[in-house]
Amino acid sequence: MAIVKMKKATMIALQSEKNEILDGLQKFGYLQILNLEERKEQGFEELEPDSDNEAVGRLETKLSQVKYSLDFLSKFNTAKKPLFAQKIQVDESKRKEYLNNEGKLNEVYESCRSIDSKFTEIKSSETKLNNTITQLNPWLPLEISLEDIGSTQNTNSLLGFIAGKYEEELSTAVKAEDLHAYLEKVSVEKENSYFLVVYHLTCEERITQLLKQAGWTKVTFSEYSGTPKENVNRLLKEKEELESKRAELTKQAENLVSEVEFLEILYDLLSVEKDRRSVVKDFVKTGKTFMLQGWIPEKFADNMTKLLDGITDKYTISFEDPSEEDEIPVLLDNPKPVKPYEMITDLYSVPNARGIDPNVFMAPFFVVFFGMMVTDAVYGIFMSAVTGYILYKYKPQGGMKSMMWIMFFGGISTFFWGGIFGGWLGDLIKVKPWWFNPLEEPLKMLIFCLILGVAHLYTGYILQAYQNIRSGKIMDAIYDQVLWLMLLTGLMFLALPNLAVIGKYMAIIGALGTVIFAARSEKNIFKRFTSGVLALYGVSGFLGDVLSYSRLFALCLATGVIAQVFNAMGIMMGGSIIGKIIMVAFLAFAHVFNTALGVLGAYVHTSRLQYVEFFGKFYEGEGKPFNPLRIRTKYIQE
Amino acid sequence: MENLMEFMGNSGLWMAFLGSAIAAGLAGCGSAIGVGIAGQAAAGVVTEDPSKFGKTLLLQALPGTQGIYGLLIGFLIWSKIGVFGTIQPVTIEQGLMLMLAGVPIGIVGLISAIYQGKASASSCGIIAKRPEEFGKGMIYPAMVETYAVLALLASFLMLNGIKL
Repeated sequence: MAIVKMKKATMIALQSEKNEILDGLQKFGYLQILNLEERKEQGFEELEPDSDNEAVGRLETKLSQVKYSLDFLSKFNTAKKPLFAQKIQVDESKRKEYLNNEGKLNEVYESCRSIDSKFTEIKSSETKLNNTITQLNPWLPLEISLEDIGSTQNTNSLLGFIAGKYEEELSTAVKAEDLHAYLEKVSVEKENSYFLVVYHLTCEERITQLLKQAGWTKVTFSEYSGTPKENVNRLLKEKEELESKRAELTKQAENLVSEVEFLEILYDLLSVEKDRRSVVKDFVKTGKTFMLQGWIPEKFADNMTKLLDGITDKYTISFEDPSEEDEIPVLLDNPKPVKPYEMITDLYSVPNARGIDPNVFMAPFFVVFFGMMVTDAVYGIFMSAVTGYILYKYKPQGGMKSMMWIMFFGGISTFFWGGIFGGWLGDLIKVKPWWFNPLEEPLKMLIFCLILGVAHLYTGYILQAYQNIRSGKIMDAIYDQVLWLMLLTGLMFLALPNLAVIGKYMAIIGALGTVIFAARSEKNIFKRFTSGVLALYGVSGFLGDVLSYSRLFALCLATGVIAQVFNAMGIMMGGSIIGKIIMVAFLAFAHVFNTALGVLGAYVHTSRLQYVEFFGKFYEGEGKPFNPLRIRTKYIQE
Repeated sequence: MENLMEFMGNSGLWMAFLGSAIAAGLAGCGSAIGVGIAGQAAAGVVTEDPSKFGKTLLLQALPGTQGIYGLLIGFLIWSKIGVFGTIQPVTIEQGLMLMLAGVPIGIVGLISAIYQGKASASSCGIIAKRPEEFGKGMIYPAMVETYAVLALLASFLMLNGIKL
């Protein structure tokens, strides 16, 4: 079976050896610790929950320091990140050295902090400078020192501005009343006119009144000396100084970038330790001992005992089978070529621990459908070559790795289907199809696609029957799946002249059986009969499911014809030599584009066929993935 | 009536062109609207987290296929009537059939692309809040596309049945 059998391990050992044991178990990596505190009802009431909160807290603080420094420095890291980052290899002695080097972390963290706060300071003083400069700007033409503005024995002078539309009113009024005042317009900015007003104290009252009417806003520069121009120049110089200070800080930060590797390694080492310390809260303890419980794949149980023997002899451990109400975590064990497709299934839902793992059955159909939806031999070679190169050269991990393998197998399948249906860069390279050309015989192609669909759906029904039989419901398998398949097969045989007679009887038996048994839990005989007849309506659902596989043809058609369109467009260009060069460039670009489009369509629609048509027939998901205590790193090799 | 026939000439060529215009034009409009709707939502997600650009771009691209299907049928009509080589004589009856062949992908492409765009836009929300469920987010718009795929097939089969 592809779903790994789990055992529940219960272990008791000494507190004094806890760290060593946990360290060993983390490296072992196949034990998912269960929270015992939540399971108090099971007779552990007297035991205290264990915890290592102090250490976890300390590690979290350090981790947040590392994270902060990494985030800060990433802004200055000009080195280009490779698309597929390789993990760094770190040996044991270096690990110890890094973990113990607390001084270095503090130093880096503090420098990052201080540089960061200085940046903030510079930013705020710069904003302040900019504001002052904007304030001074309208007064630039004024050739008077700012400290001279103000009152003398008999006169007073003011700076300020009014809205431009009141300007004339004000100056006429001053002139008409023959006041001892002088208005100098310094500048106009937007809607405002900026004025210097000088008047004799005798007419202060009237001037103030007039100014008020004109909507005067007074401006003061009490703390400035020298002309506005001098002031602005000084401020600009200050700004330049700030700029150079910033450049210096940037340089300092860039020097720290060399510590990024140290930080990354430390980040992983710390988070590994934090993972290990965090599980302690799931244990229970007495004064001298602790107890843990966890899930372990059956086949690794012996390894675990052996591992513990290597550490200590003061422990007890027992393995038991999961009980009915246990929520068993799911670990899949599939052959290597099927592994990447687990990702596709997991995107839908992780298999149920008590159900079946569909990956082995799903993968071949996925490969076939994916290839059929692209169907171009050259595209297939291209896809496999690119993904194969990436897999070989960069060794991506995780989801990326699965994706690349799916594309790689998809490419091979695409190549074969391309050959079978004669697609070599659309119609650019004329090769006779190994079987037939779908564009010339579309009906044949359509029927072929539907047959593939029937095979896919039947696999789904058979898996459901298998699931029923395995859980002891053999009659369910016969009533629900065997009769149903007989009905469907019989109906399809009706279309073939030499099988029509068998088909007729199969269909009749299947239909009668379905009518009688479909609603067998119903007590009322009349209701049972009507529900049974209604179940026959499922045939139209099946028809809809089968027709859904016509998308195989449609997408294959789309790739092929778009390629032909591009070829036609390209060949139109290829008149002169320059035209030919443009043509080649255009065709290369166009076909890569078409491949990308085809792959996207193929991925999405193949997934849909699996999720909706196939999984709908039998699949029970909603499993919880197996999540053991293990060494999990982001930057370094485990 | 005879005058009308005479006026229209014995050529269904313009109807064939109308058919290809319906196929490529309407489906293209639909894709433009759908991609636009999805793009608005995608841009919103990327303002929060620029690293999600790739995933949202894939979602945005999904409603773009209808336009391509439409162009594809249009292209098949053109190659049938010989736009790229010598123009074939087309009777009114044939022209009408060619026109009708363009209708399924034109209309279904127009409407399905718009709704697929809306489904894509909603799926952008999945990427924003639960990026690990990206696969599910791709399936919802793909469900809408099914009908465009079927319409493409319908148009193709109709077109395939027309003998010139």
